[in-house]
Amino acid sequence: MAVARAAPSVQTASTGLPPYTKSLLKWSFAIGVIPPVALVAALALKSLYMLDYVHVLTGGAWTGFDLYTGLILSRILRSLEVPARVEVAKRLTPTTFFILPSLSAVAITAGIYLAQKLGEFNLNDPWILAAGAIVIILVAQGFGIFLPNGVRIFLELAKAKPDPALISKLTMRNVRLAASQAVFQILIILVMAHLAVY
Amino acid sequence: MNASALLAIVAFAGALLLVFGYLYRIAAKSHAKGELADEGIRILRWALLGQLVIFLILAITAFLT
Repeated sequence: MAVARAAPSVQTASTGLPPYTKSLLKWSFAIGVIPPVALVAALALKSLYMLDYVHVLTGGAWTGFDLYTGLILSRILRSLEVPARVEVAKRLTPTTFFILPSLSAVAITAGIYLAQKLGEFNLNDPWILAAGAIVIILVAQGFGIFLPNGVRIFLELAKAKPDPALISKLTMRNVRLAASQAVFQILIILVMAHLAVY
Repeated sequence: MNASALLAIVAFAGALLLVFGYLYRIAAKSHAKGELADEGIRILRWALLGQLVIFLILAITAFLT
């Protein structure tokens, strides 16, 4: 199956985006729409339990992805030659394009609603301020580096003669950034655990 | 309506538009030089639309709290 899917990229590499890019983007969008819809459902049903579930699940999935990318995928990619890294980037970028921003946006939004409903959203509380500061760093990294890099990879792939070195460089930058995001997320979970217990 | 939540979501969407606007200018220049195919510009528009849809759904939540 993997071999069959890899073949078209070889044939169309010099003519722009591979044929599977659109289907991977559609898949990413279909999955990426689920978290905000689930958040709308939780709020419409006024279910604190569901709101908590959406927050924990999206936050956990976001953290898990970053840990996996930063600790595991980064090692695998570093061991690959540039053409192989490009092949991974061609598939990884469209698949994560909508899912990751959606998970992060919903985890943060649901977290704020949850804190407000539980009466914990006190801006004088140093733990809430710490959580806010970490969220700002994570969002700045997402909007300022992750997303633009993802789009630049797309644009490079869409060129008649894509630059494999640039695609590899941008992909590795995102992978390294995922590792840094994982560190901040471990910190924010530490803050969340404190808020949940004390 | 949760005005602060709505403002935050609009601010995020605005930041997204700024980032995409900047990238769109780069893409349009590449397209004008003949380096980038029409498909590249088209996929950029669809990518932006998809992200905005996600933010639009999120914006609904501000009216439910």
